[in-house]
Amino acid sequence: MPQQAQPSPSPKPKKKIRVPRVVNGVEQMVEIEVDEDSGPGWGPNDKHTLLNKRMTRVDGPLKAAGAARYTYDQRLPGMLYGRILRCPHAHARVTRVDSNAASAIPGVKAIIQAPLKELRYAGAAVAAVAATSPEIAEDALRALKVTYEVLPHVVHAPDAIKPGAPKVIEQENNLQQKAKNGDPQKAEAAFAGADEIVEAEYICARVHHACLETHGMVVDYRGGNEATIYASTQGTFTIPADAAKELGLPQSAVTASVEHMGGGFGSKFGIGIEGMLACRLSKQTKAPVKLMLTRYDEFVMAGNRSGAWQKLKAGVKKDGTIVAMQARQYRLGGIGQGSQAGQPYIYTMGEAYREIYALHTNEDSAIAMRAPGHPQASFAAESLVDELAYKIKMDPVAFRKKNLRDPVYHRQLDRAAQEIGWSRRNPVAGGNPGPLKRGLGCAVGIWGGAGNDQCKVDVTVSGDGAVLVAVGTQDLGTGTRTYMRAIVAEEFGLGVKDVQERIGNSKLGGANPSGGSTTSPSLAPSVKDAAIKTRLLLAQRVASLLGAAKPEEIVFADKKVSAGGRSVTWQEACASLPAAGITGHGVWRSDLSSRGVHGVCFAEVEVDVETGHVKPIKMVHIQDGGLPLNRLTFESQINGGMIQSLGQALWEGRVMDAQLGIQLNPGFGDYKLPGTLEMPEMVPIIDDDDKREAVIGIAEGCNIPSLGALANAVFNATGVRVRELPITPDKILMGLLSNGSLSRTQA
Amino acid sequence: MSKHDAGRRKFLKGVGIAGAGAAITDHLWTEAEAKEQQAKPNGMSRGGKVVLNVNGEERTVEVEPRTTLLNAMRNHLDPAVTGPKLVCDMGTCGACTVLIDDKPVYSCLVLAVDAANKKITTAEGLGTPEKPNAVQAAFVEHDALMCGFCTPGFVTTISAYLKKNPNPSLAEVKEACKGNFCRCGTYPRVFEAALAAAKGSQA
Repeated sequence: MPQQAQPSPSPKPKKKIRVPRVVNGVEQMVEIEVDEDSGPGWGPNDKHTLLNKRMTRVDGPLKAAGAARYTYDQRLPGMLYGRILRCPHAHARVTRVDSNAASAIPGVKAIIQAPLKELRYAGAAVAAVAATSPEIAEDALRALKVTYEVLPHVVHAPDAIKPGAPKVIEQENNLQQKAKNGDPQKAEAAFAGADEIVEAEYICARVHHACLETHGMVVDYRGGNEATIYASTQGTFTIPADAAKELGLPQSAVTASVEHMGGGFGSKFGIGIEGMLACRLSKQTKAPVKLMLTRYDEFVMAGNRSGAWQKLKAGVKKDGTIVAMQARQYRLGGIGQGSQAGQPYIYTMGEAYREIYALHTNEDSAIAMRAPGHPQASFAAESLVDELAYKIKMDPVAFRKKNLRDPVYHRQLDRAAQEIGWSRRNPVAGGNPGPLKRGLGCAVGIWGGAGNDQCKVDVTVSGDGAVLVAVGTQDLGTGTRTYMRAIVAEEFGLGVKDVQERIGNSKLGGANPSGGSTTSPSLAPSVKDAAIKTRLLLAQRVASLLGAAKPEEIVFADKKVSAGGRSVTWQEACASLPAAGITGHGVWRSDLSSRGVHGVCFAEVEVDVETGHVKPIKMVHIQDGGLPLNRLTFESQINGGMIQSLGQALWEGRVMDAQLGIQLNPGFGDYKLPGTLEMPEMVPIIDDDDKREAVIGIAEGCNIPSLGALANAVFNATGVRVRELPITPDKILMGLLSNGSLSRTQA
Repeated sequence: MSKHDAGRRKFLKGVGIAGAGAAITDHLWTEAEAKEQQAKPNGMSRGGKVVLNVNGEERTVEVEPRTTLLNAMRNHLDPAVTGPKLVCDMGTCGACTVLIDDKPVYSCLVLAVDAANKKITTAEGLGTPEKPNAVQAAFVEHDALMCGFCTPGFVTTISAYLKKNPNPSLAEVKEACKGNFCRCGTYPRVFEAALAAAKGSQA
């Protein structure tokens, strides 16, 4: 047995703090108790040997060579292939399923019905099959005969609030008030003090996560006492309990494995309906079942980002002070609740009043997606602020500073404005000559990014000098593996290659699900804690070798262990350890992480006013995040956030047919993802003026302000305010028409 | 690849399933058709042996005529070849890109029987984690990958392109891999990696 870290003799003083816990991708704040006494910190951000440098990913070579194994790549002996039959109607009841023909097909091993009898969206699971090949499984789906009682449906939000609209959920009204804040009378009265008023509606289409690896799992159960679930998930530990329940096993008998996973963006927590069906198929057949959604399934039944419909009104004084705001915000979450941050988002707008509603339609439930609810609120707030600035002829950057209190935004606005060349901007919207008009826009975002106490990390040093850091967490492609190694290596004065990591397995130490940018602020402090404890254990062992009085005096650097002028190599130091080595157990330390990140995005676009085509030219995003664990992957996260926003701003949107109630673009041929040809010049900037010596999550923060920046750039270029995403050419041309910039004969 | 190809493939898949009479994949089988199918165990769905030359190795696999090359590699070859990823299965994303006789193709749009006896190269055949080719090494160096699911496709596309055009411009690189999607947002780094790999192999 490895030697255990000894608990400290006297109980440490405690304090209570609030931390985020992620449930289904959404943060919930809970109060926990942590040690008041902190212990060694990270040290200044510019004094690290590995962290805050540019480290290539340790799993990069595997991924580049096609050797990384994903859930989709699992193939087990005797494995069956599962497929799901989806409802073709937007609202229906299943009255009969005839599986005679399907079950007669050779190779079809099981056919089961999905649990719900009433189906509230086109794409809902009706039945599932397992067969010896994917082709035969599809044959079986085609041979299943389902009789439906078709019910009335509504898929367009404005139709859903009309009197007599079909009810999406029988027991509920389609429209439900969820929150109201502020004093409506005071807000109404405050408009009297405004010199200018803007009143407008802002709409965000629902967009899809479009993870390249679809949702799904491989259930390795053969009728025995235990099972292994290979899952494409953002939470290793969100799998075993629900899978065990489906399989009729104790939770401890089910192991979840997540070696590599191909994208989640908020959509992959828990086993999902597909996992439930996979478990049931496996239980019935006593054989491993692989059930990965098809791309079509992924679009129609794997969730999406909540749509948004926001009616805003704000009043501003000529000096740039916003004095009043009213908001009526609809969260468009289909059969789900949807999400939307409250207005006036991060701005101070004097007397503000808002009402937030969930508005149901017969569509697949919206689920968490990178910064749930924030991009929608940010797009509307940033568009509104921009409209107000133009109305009083004030520079949009100066106007934002006037209405934002946090000085971090002021510094970030200045830095990013310089990078994009804001001084080149023509203040007259649409004022540049010629048909190809360039414009600049900006916007601001916020996120929490705090950690919590769910990670339990083991660091083991062996007698041969090998170092292993182990925890059950998952690496979504954010670089978790790499910074885990680097934190430990830095503590021991080693290189990244001298440490190995083991993650992605529920039999290892616990870890939080990766949602809400909580992974690194939860995990990194726990890894650091484990590394410090293990270093002290090792120091106690080698103190006598070095004649050091106290283990704390021993220095670990440059692959050497030194004290008082004496020095041994890392290998020599470790040779004194028992064969099984020593293990330190790390837990979360609140002082090693923090909360609150800021981001500012600037965009330049070129709009062809003859065709309405928008070409992004350049995007700049500056982001703070305390201690950047790895500069290379931090920048990649910023790029990723900008690119996903670019898609949502200009091209992506779920298109529904009102009559049929079905999605018209459930594939990459019709749902336009950003591609290589559309990529502008991208400048990711790490805000090094943030001196916090603490780890904070940044993935959500970089996915918020770009929508507003791009929409505002389009306005600056054309003089057309497109208030509905995505900003497609038709909307720009219609705007030019109604502006009088384009005549009907031209159009 | 054009839409036409996708349609053609769908047609062929349909033929494989139920004979020329029921060529559309979305078509629901009638009971009679199912019985007919069952009565003909030696019919088209039975399949036959195909020799696939994957990454320099001749491998025999038994597949139905409708089985795509991608599906044959991932689900029928044993051990499987899983570098090419199944993402859209209809020729829109490029994650399944392989080289057939050194030309990049979407392996979800090629039937396994049509790839018989041709030289098939996947990302695994271009290099290994220990001995990557120049493009794979540059992808790691420039952080041109995040979740990594699109990466084998990009690496394969770019490796083939640099052979054709060893000194591309940024615009040419973008054009060369316009048939590959990434969702994490690695594009800027993919371009950097491609240009660096080109520069490196010229030096």
